[in-house]
Amino acid sequence: MLNSNRVNRGSTGRGGGRSLTVQRNALESNEVIAKKNKAIFGRALVMNFLSSPGSGKTSLLESIVPVLKSEGIRAAVIEGDVETDLDKKRIDNLGVPAYQIITNGTCHLDAKMVNGSLGNMDIKDADVIFIENVGNLVCPTSFNLGEDMKAVVLSITEGDDKPLKYPAAFYKSKVMVINKIDLLPALDSDISKIKENALSINKDLIIFETSCKKKPDGGIQNKGIADMVSFIKEKIKLKADGFRKIGGNIYF
Amino acid sequence: MHEFSIALEIVDTLEENGYLDGVNKVNSVKLGIGKYSGIDKNYLGFAFQNLNDERFKGVLLEVISNDSDEIKIEEIMVD
Repeated sequence: MLNSNRVNRGSTGRGGGRSLTVQRNALESNEVIAKKNKAIFGRALVMNFLSSPGSGKTSLLESIVPVLKSEGIRAAVIEGDVETDLDKKRIDNLGVPAYQIITNGTCHLDAKMVNGSLGNMDIKDADVIFIENVGNLVCPTSFNLGEDMKAVVLSITEGDDKPLKYPAAFYKSKVMVINKIDLLPALDSDISKIKENALSINKDLIIFETSCKKKPDGGIQNKGIADMVSFIKEKIKLKADGFRKIGGNIYF
Repeated sequence: MHEFSIALEIVDTLEENGYLDGVNKVNSVKLGIGKYSGIDKNYLGFAFQNLNDERFKGVLLEVISNDSDEIKIEEIMVD
C-alpha cells in the first residue's frame, strides 16, 4: 500500500536530515485489519473481554453463553492464550463455535491474529462473538480487533485500586464486570470503592456485578449474569437493526 | 511488554505510507502518546533501540504526552 507520492518529502533540518510531517495513528496498520474484521463480523455484536489473568473471563463466558443459547441466540468465541488451548476446550463443552489463538508468548491479541482466526471458524450465523483476550490488563488495551466494545473484567480479589493502577483498560471499555462477588463476605474489598475508582476514569462505564460460582444443583446463574445477558441481547438487537437498516453494507 | 509490537506497528505504518522510501537512517521519531494509550515511553524507547532494522539504529524518540488514548506519529527526521 505504498503511496509515497502523497508524502511530504520534508524540509532539511539543522543536522542535514529531512523532517517529514506524518500526523498518523501509529497503529494504522492494525486499524486497517481491524476494519476488515469488522466487515467480516457483519451484523454480529462483538465484545472484546480484557482482564488480568484469573479474573474469570472464561467462567463468565461459561455462565453467559448457555443462557444466550437457551434463548436461541447464536454465539461464537475466539480465545486468546499465550500457551494453551485449555480455555477453548472449556468453551467447546458449551457447543458453540470456538477458535483458539495461541500467541506463543505475545501478551495481547492484535487485529491480524483475529483476522487469521476468522477463516477457521463458522461465524456467518453468529449473533454475538466474544473475544477473550490474553490475560493482561495493559497490552490488549492498545489494539483494536474490530470489536464493538471492550469489556473489562475485574475480580474483587484484585483490590479496590485496580482501575487507578490500570486506567487505560477502564478508559477504553464500555463495560466493567466485577466478578467473584460471592467472595465478598471473606474479603475486605469495598465494591463501592471499585466502582468509584472506575467511574473516575470513565464515567460512562456500564457496571455488572457477577458470580460464576456453581450452585449445588449445578446452576451458575445469579442476578448479575441475568442483567448482563439482558444487556448483551439489547446490544445484539441494536447492532443487527442498524446493520439491516443500511442494507448490510455498514463497513464496506 | 507490548511496546515491541507498537514499535513494529509504527515502522509498518511509516513503511506502508511511503515515509521510509529511499531513507537510509531515521534519526528521530516524534510521537504523541496519550495517558490512556497504555504505552510506557521508556519501554517503547527500549523497543526501538532493539528493532532488527538498521535504519532505526540509535533513533531518538521524542514524546509529547497528552490526555488522549491514542498514539500518533507526528514527525520523523530522516537521512
